[in-house]
Amino acid sequence: MNAHSNLLSWILWMPMIGVLGVLLLPKTKETAIRVWSLINTVITLVLSGCLYMKFDNTVPGMQEMFTIKHSWISQFNIFYHLGIDGISLPMVLLTSLLFAICILSSWTVKKQVKGYFALLLMLQSTVYGVFLSMDFFLFYVYWEVMLIPMFFLIGIWGGENREYAAVKFFLYTFFGSILMLVGMVALYFVTGQGVDSFNILALSGGKFVNETVNIFGMALPFAKVFFVALFIGFAIKVPVFPFHTWLPHAHVQAPTAISVILAGVLLKMGTYGFLRIAFPIFPSASVYFADAIAWLGLINVIYGAFCAMAQTDVKKLVAYSSVSHMGFVMLGLAAMTVQGMNGAVLQMFNHGTSTAMMFLLIGILYERSHHRWIVRPDGTKGFGGLYTQLPKFSIVFIIAMFASMGLPGLSGFISEALIFLGIYNRFTTITVLAVVGLLLGAAYLLWMFKRMFFGEVIEENKSYTDMNAREIFYMVPLCVAVILFGIWPSPLLDMMKASVGKLVSLLATF
Amino acid sequence: MALNYLASISHYIPELLVCFTMGALILIEATYGNDEKGSSKNMFYWGSMLGLLCALIYQVKGLGIEPTHIFTKSLVIDHFSGFAKIVMILSTAGVIYLSKISKDLYEGTKAEYTILAMGVLVGGMLLASANNMLLFYLGIETLSLLSYAMAALKKNDERSTEAGLKYVLYGGVTAGMMLFGMSHIFGVLGTINFSELMPMLSTLSTEQTAILIPSFLLFFVGIGYKISCVPFHMWSPDVYEGSPLPVTAFFSLVPKFAGIVAFARLTQVFFGGDVGVLKDSWLVLLSIVAALTMTVGNVSAIGQRSIKRMLAFSSISHAGVMMLGAIVLGKSGWTAILFYSVTYLFMTLVAFYVASFIQDHYGNDHIDRFSGLIKKHPVMAIAMAITMFSLAGLPPLSGFVAKFNILAAIIDKKFYVLAVITALNSVISLYYYMKVVRVMILKDAESDEQIGGFGFINQLVIGAYTLPVVLLGIFWQKLIALANGALLLIK
Repeated sequence: MNAHSNLLSWILWMPMIGVLGVLLLPKTKETAIRVWSLINTVITLVLSGCLYMKFDNTVPGMQEMFTIKHSWISQFNIFYHLGIDGISLPMVLLTSLLFAICILSSWTVKKQVKGYFALLLMLQSTVYGVFLSMDFFLFYVYWEVMLIPMFFLIGIWGGENREYAAVKFFLYTFFGSILMLVGMVALYFVTGQGVDSFNILALSGGKFVNETVNIFGMALPFAKVFFVALFIGFAIKVPVFPFHTWLPHAHVQAPTAISVILAGVLLKMGTYGFLRIAFPIFPSASVYFADAIAWLGLINVIYGAFCAMAQTDVKKLVAYSSVSHMGFVMLGLAAMTVQGMNGAVLQMFNHGTSTAMMFLLIGILYERSHHRWIVRPDGTKGFGGLYTQLPKFSIVFIIAMFASMGLPGLSGFISEALIFLGIYNRFTTITVLAVVGLLLGAAYLLWMFKRMFFGEVIEENKSYTDMNAREIFYMVPLCVAVILFGIWPSPLLDMMKASVGKLVSLLATF
Repeated sequence: MALNYLASISHYIPELLVCFTMGALILIEATYGNDEKGSSKNMFYWGSMLGLLCALIYQVKGLGIEPTHIFTKSLVIDHFSGFAKIVMILSTAGVIYLSKISKDLYEGTKAEYTILAMGVLVGGMLLASANNMLLFYLGIETLSLLSYAMAALKKNDERSTEAGLKYVLYGGVTAGMMLFGMSHIFGVLGTINFSELMPMLSTLSTEQTAILIPSFLLFFVGIGYKISCVPFHMWSPDVYEGSPLPVTAFFSLVPKFAGIVAFARLTQVFFGGDVGVLKDSWLVLLSIVAALTMTVGNVSAIGQRSIKRMLAFSSISHAGVMMLGAIVLGKSGWTAILFYSVTYLFMTLVAFYVASFIQDHYGNDHIDRFSGLIKKHPVMAIAMAITMFSLAGLPPLSGFVAKFNILAAIIDKKFYVLAVITALNSVISLYYYMKVVRVMILKDAESDEQIGGFGFINQLVIGAYTLPVVLLGIFWQKLIALANGALLLIK
C-alpha cells in the first residue's frame, strides 16, 4: 500500500458519488444539479491528471504503485482488481476530458435534468470500470452495466425514433457480450479454476495454444473458437462490418452529449477489448486471424466512407465516418507491429477528440436550426453560407473537419500515418486500398463543407447566432488537443510505447 | 442410517407445523368465517404467517444437521431439500401477503387461498424430500390436487373455471402416465426405493435396459408436466392467465421449485453413477428438452400483451435454465439451482406485486397499462425495471449471477452448445423484458389517475423484495457459500 494505490478507485467511484449527490438534490434545483455534476467531473479530470503525472512511462506492463486487488467472490476467485498501463491511461484521460466537456455541452438539456445528469455520471463510472478492470469478471460486469444508462439516455432524451434506436443498441451489444461471457467462463474452467482464473494479466501470454474443445464430437482448437466468441463481442462495439448496423441509428437518435460519448469513448471500448483481452489471451489465434481482421478493417474504411458520402443528414454522415475511422484502428491492430499498434492506440485517442468536436458542433448547430439536413428530403438545401453567418463556429468546424480528415499538422494525420507505416510491409494490397479510404474521407467531408458553409446564405440561416462563451469554452480544450497532438504527439506516444511494445513482442512469438 | 419413528418425527417438524397451521386456519375460518368484523381476518393472516415463521425457523435450524433418512428411508433430510423448503416457505409467505392485498381474489375466497397454499406447500416439501416412488407420487398429487382448486378460485369467472378444468385434465393424464411408468420400473426392478434402485441400474442387462427406457420416459412426463417443460408446457400459459393473480404468482414459485428440486434429485439418484446407455439417453433427452424449454418459452413470451401471460412463458424458460443444473450431475449444479431459486423468488414476487397493483387499478394486465408508470409511481417503476433487467440476466443484478452460476456449471461439464443456447436465450428474453421497461419509462402515461392501494407499507414491501435482487448481484459470496453446502444424500 502506498499513497497512490487508491487513486484508481477514486477515479472509478467519483462519478458514483456524483450520482448520489444528484439524486439527493431536489428536482427543481436544476442549476445546482448541473454545477454539482460539473464540479464532480472536473474533480475526476484532476484526479486523472494526477494519475498522468505519477505515471511511469518506462514500465511496460501494469504500474505496480496503482494496482488494487481485493477479494470479491472467493468461491470463483473473482477479485476487485484495478490496474493501469500505457494502453488504458490514454483512454482514461480521454474519458475524463470528454465527460467534463459533455456536462458543459448538456447545459441546455431541459427535460428531466436530474435523471439525465445522474445517468450520465453513472455511465462515466462504468466506462472507467471497463478501462481499469484487470479482472475479467469485473470487466464484464462494467461492460454490461454500461448498457443500462445508455439505454435510458438514448431512449428518453433522444430524437424522434429514439426507442427503436435504444432497443437496437441494447440488444445488439448484449448479444455480443453474452457470447463473451461464455468464452470467459470457458477460460475459467480451462485454467483449472485457480486463484488467477479471471485475472486478465495471468491469463495472457498464450497459455491455451494446445487446448481443444469438443463441440458436437469435433475437437476444435480452444483458442480459435473462443477468440471468435470474444471477437464478435468486441467487434459489435467497435463496430466492425457487418456488425455496425446499430451505430447510425444510435448516433442519429442520441442527444448530442451521448453521441459524443458513444463515438468518443464507447467505440474505443471495443478496440480496447482487443488490446487488453482478445490479443494477449489468445495471441496464437490473433495472429491466425490477422488477415481476416485486416480485411474487415479495410471493408470498414471503404464501406463506411461510401455510406458517409451518400448521407444527407450531417450527423449520420459523421456517424458513418466513425465507422470508417475505426476501420483504421482495426488495420493498425491487425498489423501487429510496433508502429501499427501505436498508431491504433493513438488513433483511438485522436478519433475520440476529433469526432467529439464534430458531434458537439453538429449539436450546437442543431440547437439553432432544429434540423440536420444538408439537403432536405424535398431537395432544398438545409444549410448554406454558414461561413459568413457564423465565423467562429466555422473556424472550429474547419479544425475539427481537417483533424478528422487526417491533414498533416493535425492529430489524425500522425495516427493514420503510423498505421500505414506499420501495416505496409505485411498487407501491401490492403494498405494501398485503405489509402483510397483517406481520399474518400476528404471527399465527403469537403463536399459536406461546401454545401453547408459556402454559397448563398439561405433565408432561415440568417437568424442563427454564433457560438456563445460557454460553447467556445468547452471547444477550446479539444481544439488544443487536436492541434497539439498533431504537432507534438510524443506525450501520448511515450505513454503507450512501452505497453504496446510488450504486447507486440508477445504476438511476435506466435 | 434409518431412524425410528420418534426420531424421524424430530426431523419432520417443519412439515408438521405447516400441517398444524393449515388445520388451525380451517378451525379459525370455520369459527369466525362469517364474522363481519375485520379482526378475525387479521387473526387469520397473522396465524398463517406465524405458522410459516415457526416452520421457517425449524427448517433453518435443520440446515446444519447431518443428512439422514427418516421414516424407513422414505424421506431424505439433507441440505439440498432443506434449502429448497426454506425457499418454498418464503415463497408461500410472500404470495399469501399478495393475496391479502390483491383485489383479483374475491374477499370470500381469500381464506381458502391461504389454506390451499399451505396444503400445496406440504406437498412441495414432501416432494423435495421424497426418497421412494410412493412418496414422490403422493407429493406430486398433494401438490396438484390442491393446485387444481386454486386455479379455479375465481368461481364466477369462466376463464378461471376453465383454467382449473384444464389443469385437472392435463394433470390427471400425466399423473396416470407417471404412475404407469413407476409401476413398470417396480415391475422390472422389484423396489420403489430410490436408494435401492440406483445400484441396480448399473447391473442391468441390455433387455432390461431396453424395457426400462420407456418407463423412465413415462416417469419423466409426470415431472416434466409439473415444471412445465416443453412439450408439456401448453397448459401453463392458459392456467396462469385464467387463475387469479396471486395464484399465478404462487404457481410460478412453489410447485415449480418443488418440481425442479425433485427432478434434480431423481436425475442424480438414478444417473449419478455409471449406468451406461440409460444415463446417456436421459441426459441427451434432458439437454434437448431444456434447450427447447428455454427457447420456446422465450420466443412465445415475445408476442404476449398480458403481463401475466408473458411472465408465464418466461417462467417456462427459467425452468428450462434451472433444469440445466440437474444435467450437470454434481454439486455445482445443485448449488446453481438453489441460488437460482432464491433470486427467482424475489424477482417473481416483485414482478407479480407490481402487476397486481396495475391489474387491480385498470382491470386488466396488458403491458400498455404500465405506460408512464415512472411519472406516477417511481418506486414501483424502478423496482419493476430492476427486476426486468435482473430477469434478463444483466449484471450487477442477482439474475445475472444466477445465470452465471448455471452457465459455469454446464461449461465445467463441457456442454458448450447448451451454454451458447442459454446465452442466446438471454438476448431473446431481454427483448420482451425490456418492452416492459420501455413502456414504463419511455412512454407517456395513458391518464393521470393515481393507482390506489400502493401505500407506504406496500412500497416498503416491494422495496424489501427489490433489495435482494440488487444486493445478491453484488454480494453473492454468502449465499453461494450457503448453497454450496448442498449435500445430496443418496445412499
